[in-house]
Amino acid sequence: MTWTWFHRLGSPPHAYALAARLTPWFAWTAAALIVAGLYGGLVLAPPDYQQGDDFRIIYVHAPSAWMSLMVYTTMAVSAAVGLIWRMKVAHAVAASCAAIGASFTFAALVTGSLWGERMWGTYWVWDPRLTFELILLFQYMGYMGLRSAFDDVQRADRASAVLAVVGVVNVPIIHYSVIWWNSLHQAPSVMQLGRPTMPAAMLIPLLMMFLGFTLLFLALLLVRMRAEILDRERTATWIREAVTS
Amino acid sequence: MNVFLEMGGYAAYVWPSYGLTLGIIILNVVWARRLLARSRAEARRRLATRGEPR
Repeated sequence: MTWTWFHRLGSPPHAYALAARLTPWFAWTAAALIVAGLYGGLVLAPPDYQQGDDFRIIYVHAPSAWMSLMVYTTMAVSAAVGLIWRMKVAHAVAASCAAIGASFTFAALVTGSLWGERMWGTYWVWDPRLTFELILLFQYMGYMGLRSAFDDVQRADRASAVLAVVGVVNVPIIHYSVIWWNSLHQAPSVMQLGRPTMPAAMLIPLLMMFLGFTLLFLALLLVRMRAEILDRERTATWIREAVTS
Repeated sequence: MNVFLEMGGYAAYVWPSYGLTLGIIILNVVWARRLLARSRAEARRRLATRGEPR
């Protein structure tokens, strides 16, 4: 296996140009999937036999919660790559993740709280999944706070990367919390093999939302990564061409 | 239409959830684009004041 693609991705001008080319594809596919998913979830899907129309919150809650974990994992993996191979582009990716992840963690917490009020009779309960998800929000905020404490971007990259990598332990805890502990939060209804717990009319819009949110994340990440690369490549010659075109 | 907006009596929970999530999506798009525009403008300014980069 050849590693040329990896080295090419690590080259800032190449990563910058590739990101600029890919962004519109991800963004427009994401927009189409989210619009279709919203229509499917709000209009086509039948009401749940127990939860009525309140279950429709799942179409914004579950994809937001998925984003909170997926974005953190992306941040931790790219931070690790940045630390191990001293790869500037990887650090730029990691730094781009935090604000996106924090905002969707917030969305997951608030939409979950609105859902919980009707189904559990309370906006908040110190249930394992809810508690660890709240901690995840604090982790994102801590990461951003730590970065902003450094004037030098290279030092911010290294220090925040260690924090991101250590904190990744929370991701499997959140994911398995509803299985490990006797949780008030309902068990997973999508991410399990061989046992579909939803009819297709409910499931397909949800899968569209998951894919749409994932592509939206990639589009946002690529735009932010370009900004981060420009901030790191202060003296490189290729920048003139990149910013004047 | 009204039946749709009423959401089986859950309107006060369903619509704020959708509103917040869509708001966060829009905020993220605006935010990312502003960030890139600012970094590009800064890079252009640096190039203008320093002349040819090394």
